[in-house]
Formats: sequence, C-alpha cells, structure tokens
Amino acid sequence: MLRALWGPRATEPLARNEDATLGPSELVGSLQLRHVDAGSCNGCELELTSVFGPVYDAERFGARLVASPRHADGVLVTGPVTRNMAVPLVKTVDATPQPRVVIAVGDCACDCGVFRGGYGVVGAVGDVVPVDISIPGCPPHPTAIIEALRGVTRR
Amino acid sequence: MTAITLVAAGAVTGVVAAVFGAVLPRRLRVTAAAVLVWAACSFEAAAAIHVLAVGRPIVAHSQGLLPVTGADVVLNPLGALFVLLVVMVAVPATMHAIGYSRHGLDTRTAACVLPLFVTTMLLVPAAGSVATFLWLWEIMALTSLLLVLANHVRREAARSAGVWYAVMTHLGASTILVAFLIVAAGADGQSFAALAQHARHLAPGVRALVFMLAVVGFGSKAGVVPFHVWLPKAHPEAPSPVSALMSGSMVALGVYGVILVGDVLLGGGPAWWWLVVLGLGAISALFGALHATSSTDMKRLLAYSTTDNVGLVFLALGASGLFAAAGHPMLGALGLVAGLVLVVNHAAFKGALFLSAGSIQAATGTTDLDQLGGLLRRMPQTGALFMVAAAAICALPPLNGFIGEWLLFQSLLHGAAIGSTAGELAVPLAVAAMALTAGLTVVAFVKAAGIGLLGRPRTKSVEVAVEVPATMRLAVGVLVAACVVLGVFPMLVLPAIERAAKAAQPSVGLTPLVHGVNVQLAGLRGLLAPAELTLALMVAVAGVVTIRRVLARHPAPRVLQAWGSGREIQTARMQYTAMSFAEPVQRVFDDVLRPVQDLDVSHSAESRYFVESAIFHSAVDDAIERGLYRPVIRAVRRWGQAARRLQPGSVHRYLGYGFGALIVVLIAVAVIG
Repeated sequence: MLRALWGPRATEPLARNEDATLGPSELVGSLQLRHVDAGSCNGCELELTSVFGPVYDAERFGARLVASPRHADGVLVTGPVTRNMAVPLVKTVDATPQPRVVIAVGDCACDCGVFRGGYGVVGAVGDVVPVDISIPGCPPHPTAIIEALRGVTRR
Repeated sequence: MTAITLVAAGAVTGVVAAVFGAVLPRRLRVTAAAVLVWAACSFEAAAAIHVLAVGRPIVAHSQGLLPVTGADVVLNPLGALFVLLVVMVAVPATMHAIGYSRHGLDTRTAACVLPLFVTTMLLVPAAGSVATFLWLWEIMALTSLLLVLANHVRREAARSAGVWYAVMTHLGASTILVAFLIVAAGADGQSFAALAQHARHLAPGVRALVFMLAVVGFGSKAGVVPFHVWLPKAHPEAPSPVSALMSGSMVALGVYGVILVGDVLLGGGPAWWWLVVLGLGAISALFGALHATSSTDMKRLLAYSTTDNVGLVFLALGASGLFAAAGHPMLGALGLVAGLVLVVNHAAFKGALFLSAGSIQAATGTTDLDQLGGLLRRMPQTGALFMVAAAAICALPPLNGFIGEWLLFQSLLHGAAIGSTAGELAVPLAVAAMALTAGLTVVAFVKAAGIGLLGRPRTKSVEVAVEVPATMRLAVGVLVAACVVLGVFPMLVLPAIERAAKAAQPSVGLTPLVHGVNVQLAGLRGLLAPAELTLALMVAVAGVVTIRRVLARHPAPRVLQAWGSGREIQTARMQYTAMSFAEPVQRVFDDVLRPVQDLDVSHSAESRYFVESAIFHSAVDDAIERGLYRPVIRAVRRWGQAARRLQPGSVHRYLGYGFGALIVVLIAVAVIG
C-alpha cells in the first residue's frame, strides 16, 4: 500500500507516432467519444476499458468517453453490426454533431472477423455508416487504439 | 365629485354587477358582471389614486349601513396601494373569466358571487373600524369559498378543498376577531384610530398577544407556513380567474392585515415579534419553493409558489420591524418598501401565471404537467406570456421580480450590522434562506415552462389544443405588461409605495429612496438603473446575435429527431417528465419533502422473467399537513365518534336529557338561592 501511495505512478509513458495525422483539424486537442457496441464479443470492450483506465490513460492525450452522442465528437464502434444494432448505430452516428469521426475498433468492426456471414450480422461497420479510422486487431492492443486516438488529437 | 362618492359608487356598482350576474341569462351574465366590475374597479382606483396623490386619507361614517355600529371608511395611502393592487388583478381576472366562464363560472351563483368577491376585496383596505373590517373580511372569505366550490358537482376534490379552506379561513378570522376585541375592549369606540390610541397604553404582554393572534389570523389568509395547507388544495380546484384573484390579491390583503395591526394599530413592537415574522417568512419561502419544485400539477405548483412569495414578503416585514426596533428607522422603512414592492410584484406575475394556467386548462382540459407539452407551438401567445411571467417570478433582471428582491437584499445586507445579537444572527440566515429560495424558484419555473410548454404533447387533447380567445390572451397580456413596466420603470410606482409605507409607519415617515430615473437608496450605498440595464441587455443580445451571424462558419444546421438512445420508435412518453425533473431536488431534500415512491410489478403467470404490467406511483406529502393537521383531525373525529354515543336517536333518551338538565338546574338554583 505504501508503494501505491508513494511509489511511481502506474501510467505507462507512451511515445507518439508523429506521422499519424487522422481526422478533421477541428478535433485536434480534444476528442469526446461515444462508444457503441454493435454486437461485440466484449473483447474490444476490455481493451477500451484499459485504454481509459489508469495504466494507458487516454484522457491525458485529450480523448474522453461521454454518455451521449450529443456531447460527442466521435463514435467508437466495436463488433460486427448485428441486425438489432444497425438502426441504433445509424441513429447514434446521425446524432453526433459534425465535424465527427467514426472509429471502427477491432477486426469485427473492420471486416466482421470470425462472424462474417453469420445469420444475425448485417455487415462490417463500414457497410452501415461511413468509417474514418479503422483499428485492426482481435482485440487491438490498447497502445494501438491510443495511437489512433492520438492521431486525431495530435497530442 | 368628492372622493368618498367614488368609494361609494364603486361599492354600489359592484353590488349591481352581482345582481346582473344573478338575473341575466347564461350567455350574458359573466360579460355583464365583468364590465360592471371594471366600472367598480375604476371608481375605486380613482379614489385610491386621489388618496395617494393628495396624501390625505378619505374618512367617512355612515350610521345606517351596518346595524348598531355603522360603517366607517378610512382610506389612507397604505390602503389605497392595496386597492390599486386589487384593481390590477381584478380587471384582467374578470376579463379572463369571460372566456373561461364555461368551466364553472357561468352558473348563477358564481356570476353573482364573483363581483361581490372583487368588491369586498376592493373595500377591505378602506375599512376604518373593527366592525366594518370584519364584515367585509367575512364576506370576502365566504364569497371566495363559494367560488372555490364552483366545480363541486364535477370534482370530488373541490369539496374536500372547500372544507379545508372554510376551516382554515374561519380559524384565522376568529383569531383576528379575538385580537381586535382585546384592543377594542378598553378603547374609546371601535374605529382603528381609537384602537391605535388605546393600544399605546396596553401592557407589553397584551400587545404581544394581539400581534401574535393577528399574525396567525392574517397569516392563514396569506398562506404562510404552517397555515398554508389550504392553498395547494383550493387553488387547483378553484376556477383559474378565482385562483388568480385569491393568490394575487386576497393573499396580499393578509399582508395588509399584518401591517395594519403591527404598524398602524400597535405602532411597531420589540425585536422578538419581528424575529418571529422573519422566521415564519424564511420557513415559508423555503418550504413553498421546495414544494413548488416537486409539484407536478401546474396550479398546485403556483399555489406553493404563492407560499414562497408571501414568505419573502413576511421576511421583508420582519426585517423591517427588526431594523426599526434596533434603532435604524431608515433601514426599517426600506424593508417595508421592499415588502410592499414584493406584494405588488407578486400580484402582477402570479396573476398572469394563474390566468395563463387557466388558459391552458381551458384549451387542454388539464393542468397536469405530465400530460401537457408542446404548448408553445400550439398556443404561441399564451405560451410566450407564461414564459415572461415565469422569468419575472424567477427575478430575472429586466422584469419586476428583480426590483423587489434587489430591494430586499439591499435592506438585509445593509442591516447585517445593526448591533443586536439576535438581529446579526438572523439577518445572514435570512439572506441565505432567500438565496436558496431564489434558486429553487428558478428550478420550479424552469420545470413548469420546460415540461409544460416545450417538447411534444403527451396526450391527444393537448395535441389538438388551439389558442384561447383574444380576451383571455389580453387579460394575461395586461398583467405581463405590468410586470415589464414595474421592472423597467419602477420609479413610476415606487413613490406611491413609499407614501403607503409612510402611512404605515407614521412615527418614522422617512423616504428611503432617492427620486429620479434610477432606484437609489437614500443614505446608503446602492444604485439600480433598470432602464439602462434593460438597454444594456438588449444591446448585448443584439450584439451576440450579430457577431454570431457575422462569424458563422459552421455548416447549415441539420434538423434531426431528438436523441432517444437510438431506439427505433420514439414516443412523446419518453420525454423528460415533471416528476423526473424534480427527482434530484426531492432526493436532496427528502427529509423535508418525504417523497413516497411505489413500484408495483405484476409478473406473467408462466414465468417471472416476463412482466405483465408495471405501475409506478410517486407522491410528495405535505409534511406540515401530515404532522400538524392530521393528528388534530383524527382527535376531533374520535371526539365526535365518542359524542355520538350520547345521541342514539331515541326520543326517550333525549326527553330524559332534558328532564335531567332541568333537575340539575333546579337543584343548583335551590342551593345557590
């Protein structure tokens, strides 16, 4: 406990890839994100939890999770788009004010992954809404997600 | 024409209006009565303006009008101010009643009683003796009771509200009667002047008793906690023009009564009297505002908000008396002026709010906020007027509520160092209570306007609502215009209010304000320039709009469906409700409000995982009604049940009682004789 109180901080220092510049220039510095689970196995959710947790802490780079697309600049989508979630996903993206980014997180979101052709699957996120940034991986490593987010916030 | 003729002409016209209301056919009666009431109002207003302009009271005595005592009229500047206040509410309210009449006001009784109610309210401040005052006070109470009961056939709740109101108002009247009788017992005659003469020689304890009885009696009319219980019951049931009259002007007459007894008859008193008034006021303000935030019925909300506003007035009166007792007559006069300004303002915006609630009721058939919604689009003028009046009651700057609260804050803040321990403890607490009240009032009226007027209609009847007739809109418009004028050009009326305050505290007779375009405190640092403030606000708004236009580089706005968590089907029932809006406040103040919530889920017969129906019930109980009144009512009921055993319906038993009583009397006479 003493180490927790006085020891070094848990947050990992991360180097930034200076070349990565993604998303519109209005979102530089601050990116508020609404997460939509379009039918994920929750593997990507675990990684997202740690992205915004104390170890990787994406908030220090200006990316933050918010509770409503009305407050958001971007949408994080995980999982293949299932039939139940197709309309809500479209509505969520619609409800996000422009300029916005749609980020597909994980293989399933990019190209349906192992769920391709499943009876409940409509398609990849790109088949339902226009995707700006894709982060591959099953699940993607937190550093990969953060690198993409830092590409938008450029911090 | 002498001034007293005007007063008499007003009274006669009022009675004629009542007769016309009773005899004319249904189509004409409310209109005819209303027009005659306007005539009566203009006579009385002329008399009142005469008094305020000349500064001398109208005094008259008529032996024939009332049996034994005769009737006395003394209309001094203080009374004249309240006459004008009643006129300000009565003219729009009766105008509104024409359009509203088919909701219970076009019966023979109602059309006869409404003019009488207005007339007695016009005459109460002109009463110059105990008998005259009590006659008029009682007629006012009885006529308003009949009007509360106007819808008793259709609405069960109106009957219970009528009983509550009758009991509360008569308990109040009896304490007022006792207070007057104590002073009048040794006085030379029963005119208020004689009473004031005599009251100076009374023992301090007797004076205190008289004052406290008067505070209880007039407080029950004014709706001060803990005598407010009739307000949230009677106001939702009474026809809206009657609610406006009761809340705007009758409640103000309760305040008049406290000033009459406290300042005019007793000539002020020790600090602890006024600490009691200040405490009652602060508690009423907070309690009323809290309940207003958690009420879901618009008229119930307005009724609790009346308790809140009257609480602020009592707070001002208490502060005024406290400062005067501590040897700061200038601050005392300022506090009294603040109290009177608050009363006048309350009449303007609460009248407007009750009348527009009436318009909404007439158009949609309900005042339940959780059934309304989307009315600003369907009734644009009524909705806009409601919004302005709501902004006024929230004390937003260019409107009248701000002036009153500014004056009260100034008097309290300058009184923070009056040099008495009790005062120095009470004043900061009063400021804190007032600040919290102001915040809660905003919550309540954001709720009323936001849930009721914005969004989408929650029921069919609201969806097809159309704008009310022009007379009803004009009636609300007049009062809203009064709110704006009182807010932007307060100096038009402040001299009259000062003169009224001077009449109330004749020993002081100070002018706490400097005359000019701006409101400036004499001898203190404090300046308010409402006209310049309004101009600055308008320029600022125009500037922001222009800059936004010029600098606009955003794409054109998109029109989308409201965000409903991405559901495929969205209904109006998914909107924010009044109940859910009030929930955080209820949670914070649950010690006072004690919300009762009940979720009733019935499961399907096959499986507990399927819900057949779910009923959610939430209610906020009035803690004072539950804790103070219900036990008394239960005790009275038990006593009544016990007394019924004496009365079994047997004639033999009753003859036996008579016989027994006769024997007892005979024995007693024999023993004593």
